[in-house]
Amino acid sequence: MAQIEKIHAPGFWASVINTFSLFLRMGKKSRRTKVFFAISLLPVIIAAIVKLNHVFSSGGGREGIYIFSNIIMAFYLQFLILVLALFFGTSICSEELEGKTLTYLTTRPVPKSAIMLGKYAAYTLLIVFMVVLGVTLSFVLLNMNRLLDFSLYPIFFRDLGVLTLGMICYTAFFAFLGTFLKKSVLFGLLFSFGWENVIQYFPGTTQKFTIVHYLKSLLPGPSTGGFSFLLFRLEPSPTGVSIFMLLLITAVFLSLACLFFSKKEYILD
Amino acid sequence: MNTVIETDKLSKWYGNVLGLSDVSLKIKPGITGILGPNGAGKSTFLKLITGQIKPNIGTVRLLGQKIRNNYCLMSKIGFCPEQDAFFDEMTGWEFVTGLLKLNGMSNDEVRSRAKDSLEIVELINDKDRVIRSYSRGMRQRLKIAQAIAHKPEIIILDEPLNGLDPLGRRKIIRLIKEYKTEGKTIIISSHVLPEIEAITKKIILIHQGKIFAQGDIHYIRDLIESHPHMISINCSDPRKLAAKFIHKDFVLNVNFGTSQDSLLVETNNRDKFFGLLPSLFVEEKIDVFSITSPDDNLQAVFDYLIGS
Repeated sequence: MAQIEKIHAPGFWASVINTFSLFLRMGKKSRRTKVFFAISLLPVIIAAIVKLNHVFSSGGGREGIYIFSNIIMAFYLQFLILVLALFFGTSICSEELEGKTLTYLTTRPVPKSAIMLGKYAAYTLLIVFMVVLGVTLSFVLLNMNRLLDFSLYPIFFRDLGVLTLGMICYTAFFAFLGTFLKKSVLFGLLFSFGWENVIQYFPGTTQKFTIVHYLKSLLPGPSTGGFSFLLFRLEPSPTGVSIFMLLLITAVFLSLACLFFSKKEYILD
Repeated sequence: MNTVIETDKLSKWYGNVLGLSDVSLKIKPGITGILGPNGAGKSTFLKLITGQIKPNIGTVRLLGQKIRNNYCLMSKIGFCPEQDAFFDEMTGWEFVTGLLKLNGMSNDEVRSRAKDSLEIVELINDKDRVIRSYSRGMRQRLKIAQAIAHKPEIIILDEPLNGLDPLGRRKIIRLIKEYKTEGKTIIISSHVLPEIEAITKKIILIHQGKIFAQGDIHYIRDLIESHPHMISINCSDPRKLAAKFIHKDFVLNVNFGTSQDSLLVETNNRDKFFGLLPSLFVEEKIDVFSITSPDDNLQAVFDYLIGS
């Protein structure tokens, strides 16, 4: 038998960065990204229509910041970030299995957990970019006449922060689902629009078993009337606790995703 | 010579289906051909020795180290998978450079090695085309390029000649032989005997998940030569041809086919048979339309050898 020799391979974080740059480049070109990029701009179209209506109705109707914080935020928070995180998060593992490309990655000197983390970071960055662009354009369109009013910007950045945290957390959860479920998208849809949308309205401790509870806890209580029901919440958790819980959920599910992906045997044929 | 790959009682099941059973082997530098019909367990064996799947029983050691979950060892391996799968939205250049980057090379090194490997497989002029626009042969060559780009010590090629035209096959065969002279270990699988025969004399026969025979190609050839072969000839005068064959000692049986111009000959010595055939056509002025060998495939040979 050949002598056992010390073999050099790139370090763990170098592998994460290499995987990240490979899949960021690939993700930017993918058809899926283009489709979801178009979907993520839907609220911009809504914002443009609202703005035009506002202009033609001689300034009547709700203020831009109200529409932004209630309608646009509700669309992003309760629909779009879930859908984006679901399709990008579950695909981290499933696209390699369905496309039978996992072989190319696992026959490289890269730990599987580095592949998971690198792809997670690349896909999360992609969806964060999509959402930030859509939210920014919507904000600018709706508040075009008040762009020099600096009191609006804390609201804008707070909302962006909440959405970003939501995407980081949901993508980690869906990445975990994708590592061991064959029909991860179906289960993800049930979780997103079943569990998350129902359990958050259960009083007491039960609501705290949802991610959206902690995200809504970071937003102020909904203003009364109009569309305020869209972002309705029960008993919010304190801001510090909410941020801690979101980061904890992310860390736990990302660790589990790395563990499952590393240990599970994937048969491609 | 040092053993590069060693397997001990290697066995793998997919549920109730046997993938590989009790395979103990020592593979040394040079070219080793893994030969077996489709579904014999060749790909399972290659996936096990590259640590992509885990054995139910037994062990695999590469360069003296356990392979499973030993990702560092992968820098020594170049693997060309059988499946025609790619990151389709990438260009050939992006595919090779992206995978090379995972080996931890600098950008300059990545560019230079990607260029070299794409030149070797003659894809350098098409490097900027997206992979989904490549032909089957080009995709096959691209898989080989990614396997050799990082100059690995061990090259494992699962059916690498599939989908290649005759010229492409010749070039890849020449390339594989060149690697042998560099002292590398090359394992190549195929279900086509002449393909393996053109590359190496050292072969392992796999059938139904078991090592059926291993050793020099001549030994295997001898086994195969004893297998009676059926040859179908379509020509202008099958009766005249049959009359010439009937008294030859290497011809076991002569039958006329369903169509008027066909003849079925069973021989136990293909070399003698094919040595005689062209001269008969010329001497007897017989026009030949086609010559096929209905049972000239590995499955038929295996079936004969195992007596089923």
